[in-house]
Amino acid sequence: MQDIYITGGAMTPFGRHPGVMAPELAQQAILKAMDDAGVTKDEIQAVYCANVLGGMILGQLIVRDLGFKGIPVYNVENACASGATGVHLARHALLAQQYDTVLVFGIEQLTALGGGTIPLQRNDHKTELYAKAGMVLPAVYAMRGTRFLHERDATPADLAAIAVKNRRNGSLNEFAQQRTEVTVEEVLASRMIADPLTLLQCCPSQVDGAAAVVVSTRSGKSRKPVKVLSSVVVSGIREEADDDILDAEITARAARQAYEQAGLGPEDVNVVELHDAFTIAELLYYEALGLAARGDAVSLLKSGATQLGGRVPVNPSGGLLAKGHPLGATGVAQMVEIMWHLQGRAGARQVADAKVGLTQCTGGGIAGVDHAASSVHLLGV
Amino acid sequence: MELSYPLWSDAPQPALLASRDRKTRELIFPAVPDASPLAGEHETVAVDGVGEVYSFTVIHPGKKSGETPYALGLVDFTGPVRIFGRLNGEARPTIGAKYTARRDEQFGYAFEAVKA
Repeated sequence: MQDIYITGGAMTPFGRHPGVMAPELAQQAILKAMDDAGVTKDEIQAVYCANVLGGMILGQLIVRDLGFKGIPVYNVENACASGATGVHLARHALLAQQYDTVLVFGIEQLTALGGGTIPLQRNDHKTELYAKAGMVLPAVYAMRGTRFLHERDATPADLAAIAVKNRRNGSLNEFAQQRTEVTVEEVLASRMIADPLTLLQCCPSQVDGAAAVVVSTRSGKSRKPVKVLSSVVVSGIREEADDDILDAEITARAARQAYEQAGLGPEDVNVVELHDAFTIAELLYYEALGLAARGDAVSLLKSGATQLGGRVPVNPSGGLLAKGHPLGATGVAQMVEIMWHLQGRAGARQVADAKVGLTQCTGGGIAGVDHAASSVHLLGV
Repeated sequence: MELSYPLWSDAPQPALLASRDRKTRELIFPAVPDASPLAGEHETVAVDGVGEVYSFTVIHPGKKSGETPYALGLVDFTGPVRIFGRLNGEARPTIGAKYTARRDEQFGYAFEAVKA
């Protein structure tokens, strides 16, 4: 099979960008990513724009003034997995020899919503009914947290320890929105949002950001080539009455496919960026991604294996909890972060000798507890 | 707004309604909308009795909202069918606690704690 590479990438700082509209924000990431890849606009043959809430034909608006001369622009929406889905679709086109080199970017401006919990979609009878009753993502994750604490030998402090780890990592990342280290006590004492999840266990909802990568069949010349070892997007299955809400089935399924596609296993992964929208998510995904055996997530966390300097650091960027989660940008930003680690460009948070990195993000819901979409990518040098 | 599917039975003691797949016998809630091409593959059945809380959370709205904390949860009923909704009657539910469905003007339905 044709090898596919990420030849360059960039992201804006995640945070509040008052007075900056989507085109200006996204263009910052796009131009830096192209410069990073060493490509000109004439070498880009198609553009993939990942966004959730920015409206119609956002991609075309963003590149209108960049001089791409009418090349195809594909707008991709798959909730929080939009960015990863964009990369996945770009890879399809490259494998099909439709293009040689394409640009993928993600962009979101959540500050435009004015704050508060991001609403779930209400576009069928079930999502409408459940949204009216109060189903929002903090509630979905909190119910998982409650069940986790009920079934496992775990405490609220174990959930809080995820926030402590990732916010410590975020303090080292100049692109992260929240760069303050916190203690377990501070996490637990922060305002309760959705029991057992306190404010510091939730990713910030007021954040803007963009990220971009150049994806190509050519490895590029300037830096250590980062190969896309596997790329998987799967969709949620209607949950059954006895569904186990701790198994993160959709992500476990995506991970199994990604490992198989790459011919690798979880033991081969050196660094992970995963979808820690809420603390409980990271613990569940340790198991879904095979980093820990069923029931061993808390033990893995306590062992220190997933902190910087550990066996397999998770969310060295600070993750969604500290870096922020501008929906459409997240999946692409995860890949930029992993690319930096694989190339030794991650600064103070660099994971030493990383050869294989994994990204995972999930998107939305179809009125069950698991998600509508999940994407896992393995990148390697 | 008029619903596109039946939510409650009109029996003397109304029950929530679900759809049962005629082939697999699987129950799904809410019921399949009348206009769905899948409607013919399902029969409408009542969700009877008392369910048990599988998991829950208590939402603490921000001060600006003026709302007081409220409980949400997943309740397992005989069928089997698991239904999400508001949990009324206890400030903090417990896993395994028994709840029954009641009509609710705002949400269409809610679950009420069954007193021992």
